[in-house]
Amino acid sequence: MAELTLVQEHPVSATARGSSLRRLARTDAFFHGLTRAAALAVLGVLMGVILALVIGAWPALSHFGFSFLVSQSWNPVTEKFGALAPIFGTIITSAIAMLFAVPIGIGVAIFLTEICPPLLRRPVGIAIELLAGIPSIIYGIWGLFVLAPLLQRTIQPFLIDLFGNVPLLSSLFAGPPYGIGVLTASIVLAIMILPFITSITRDVFEQVPPMLKEAAFGLGCTTREVIRKVVIPYTRVGVTGGCMLALGRALGETMAVTFVIGNAHKINASLLAPGTTISATIANEFTEAVGDLYTSALIALGLLLFVITFIVLAIARVMLARVARKAGK
Amino acid sequence: MDAAVAQTKATNAPIKVDIRGVNFYYGQSRALKDVTMPLYKNHVTAFIGPSGCGKSTLLRALNRIYDMYPNQRAEGEILVDGENILDQKQDLNLLRSKLGMVFQKPTPFPMTIYENIAFGIRLYERLPRAEMDSRIEAALTQAALWTEVKDKLQASGLSLSGGQQQRLCIARTVAIKPEVILLDEPCSALDPISTAKIEETIEELKTEYTIVIVTHNMQQAARISDYTAFMLLGELIEFGDTAMMTTKPRVQKTEDYITGRFG
Amino acid sequence: MSAARMSPLYAGRRRRNSIFMALAGASTLVGLGFLAAILVTLVVQGFGALNPRVLTAMTPPPGSDGGLLNAIAGSLVMTLLGVLVGTPVGMLAGTYMAEYGRYSQITHVVRFVNDILLSAPSIVVGLFVYEIMVAPMGHFSGLAGGVALAIIVIPVVVRTTEDMLLLVPDPIREATTALGAPRWHMISHVAYRAAKAGIITGVLLAVARISGETAPLLFTALNNQFWSTNLNAPMASLPVIIFQFAISPYADWRDLAWAGALLITAAVLLLSIAARALNMKRGS
Repeated sequence: MAELTLVQEHPVSATARGSSLRRLARTDAFFHGLTRAAALAVLGVLMGVILALVIGAWPALSHFGFSFLVSQSWNPVTEKFGALAPIFGTIITSAIAMLFAVPIGIGVAIFLTEICPPLLRRPVGIAIELLAGIPSIIYGIWGLFVLAPLLQRTIQPFLIDLFGNVPLLSSLFAGPPYGIGVLTASIVLAIMILPFITSITRDVFEQVPPMLKEAAFGLGCTTREVIRKVVIPYTRVGVTGGCMLALGRALGETMAVTFVIGNAHKINASLLAPGTTISATIANEFTEAVGDLYTSALIALGLLLFVITFIVLAIARVMLARVARKAGK
Repeated sequence: MDAAVAQTKATNAPIKVDIRGVNFYYGQSRALKDVTMPLYKNHVTAFIGPSGCGKSTLLRALNRIYDMYPNQRAEGEILVDGENILDQKQDLNLLRSKLGMVFQKPTPFPMTIYENIAFGIRLYERLPRAEMDSRIEAALTQAALWTEVKDKLQASGLSLSGGQQQRLCIARTVAIKPEVILLDEPCSALDPISTAKIEETIEELKTEYTIVIVTHNMQQAARISDYTAFMLLGELIEFGDTAMMTTKPRVQKTEDYITGRFG
Repeated sequence: MSAARMSPLYAGRRRRNSIFMALAGASTLVGLGFLAAILVTLVVQGFGALNPRVLTAMTPPPGSDGGLLNAIAGSLVMTLLGVLVGTPVGMLAGTYMAEYGRYSQITHVVRFVNDILLSAPSIVVGLFVYEIMVAPMGHFSGLAGGVALAIIVIPVVVRTTEDMLLLVPDPIREATTALGAPRWHMISHVAYRAAKAGIITGVLLAVARISGETAPLLFTALNNQFWSTNLNAPMASLPVIIFQFAISPYADWRDLAWAGALLITAAVLLLSIAARALNMKRGS
């Protein structure tokens, strides 16, 4: 570029510009590479997590084989480890938590977007979002000291009495009332994921074009009909995605559960009995685990948890991405 | 399309930018069809035509700003001082330092008025403070903004009115001493008074710079340009002396547009 | 509404609507009620246990007086470390996604993976750091705790950096590029400046997120009953101390756990409110 004309007319010569720019261009190339490396590092973290877990879990997985997944025994003394009880506990607590949290969370979102007086809408919305940020250990400590004793004195005896003579349900709610246990853990989890569900559902509800809702109201639809016939169908994918995201959180949640689950490696038909989850088992036992096989079995649990949550979260993200694309168009 | 370029009185002025057979694509869709025209040195050329005719696309090809986006490409030749800038080897930043651009909506940077202008200068020159101050004053004066902002150079560029912001953008562009200034509908977001000020500024700038302005406003083209290119659906319909073209265009379509029959 | 229009069908619809609205209202009461109950307990129990020693004394052995000073210090050190390591990596990655690599295939993959890491179980991060740092080094350390927290910070910062940079209008980018500024110059001098408030918001939210994280610290930083700022040794942290003390049978340990829980919640809420206020300022 040195042979550019008109140099005389302009005090800044092309050569001077060129050298200044070349310096900046080198910086640019450097940062292009650096930012790209950082982006790849995010992928690297994922790969690293998977690789580290697989390597750590390998001794246990190769030793127990498929029986690791289906065996209920968890005996550090005889070094017999099976993941069935924690897997069962993880799935059952998350499922019950979703059973409570999804209807209530969506109910709150409906209240916020459709019913709530505008004056309250912002403060309540902000309160919900702030609560979504409270660390899970707070939910755990509250569950242990407040909710568990309360359930032990009230709801649990009531349930045991109520269903005592009903077949099936009697074993589901078989005593004694410990306070802590699967049901308590599920309720704490439900309270914890409630703000997530509400804030995502509310965001999705707000993407419904106002015209659509106005048209339905214009036909004389009631609020309920507008929500059931317009808002929910329009947002089904987004709401499901949001709930999947909450499920992912519930499955992987550690502290809110560890306090109140009871840490018993047993599958018990009763929801009132103590149990365990994958994350609670790891949190409780990892630092005390003696022996490579024990440690490896715990890491194998971690790998299982990661795989399960990865699948759930991936589905959630695909669904939410579909909604975002639709909103973008 | 060479036929569209009429012989005009000023063809003896040197050609600064020579556009030769340029085609432009957004992905598969062709937005410019074999456009050929000269841009004369130290004159104002206006690109006019209805929206979507390709006038902004052509302007954006001249400094290759389209290179920021994937799937946009230009074919043909654009010679600036005889050098084809569509060449892959072209240093884009150097090219853009020679062809400054002002956009449709004012684009002040989120910094002070002073920094808005110093930013561009610092890309190319390390100046002592006093010299920088005088360069900034000169640029603001050229853009007819100095008297309005000289007491608040440390205020945010965003605090200015729309018309002032646009003149700040012009000052920012001239501060780095380009040779060509490309203006993409610079007045479309402005009120009539601000528009008049910008037009005066352009009038003064043309003694030093080669200016290209995209406008959808026929009267504006008539007021400030020496040459006019009328475009339609990606094609150059007519190019010529502005006075000639606004009074007696040679092509029927141009006449239809100018007299407001469509567009 | 005239009586003639009040057909049985319409009356039924209205009734169902009332029930529906009542249910939504009740959900809100139940949901907010539980959350309020948690906060009230926390404030009552926490303030009851709060005294000057909490902030000035070390964690005590069972049955004696003490505070949380070493745990607070450890939390601050590891949080700081997590933010200092996580923020630059997250910002650079987010910058790649919004600027250099906006149209690149890598960006799509990274965005997907990042969104998953954003809500991946934090205990798995603890296991990962145990495997790559604690096991090879042979001991638990504050450094490992900080790295675990950094891994949690990264996805949060990546996400906000990308989102905030994408909000910077393209004409500003074009205007900077049209002056001949190379991309990095445009990013560092213009785009970052325009997105500053949003990115700081993201970092604050990330700090809020990690200041209460317990699971990733359990087997990285472990715990320490004594004052220590040695990054190469086990380090106490508020969440881990809360966990340890809360499940203990000693009343004074439990009190300290409540005091710690109140401190963490207050810190997290303050950070979230600050982030929100900053975001609001940006919006206006």
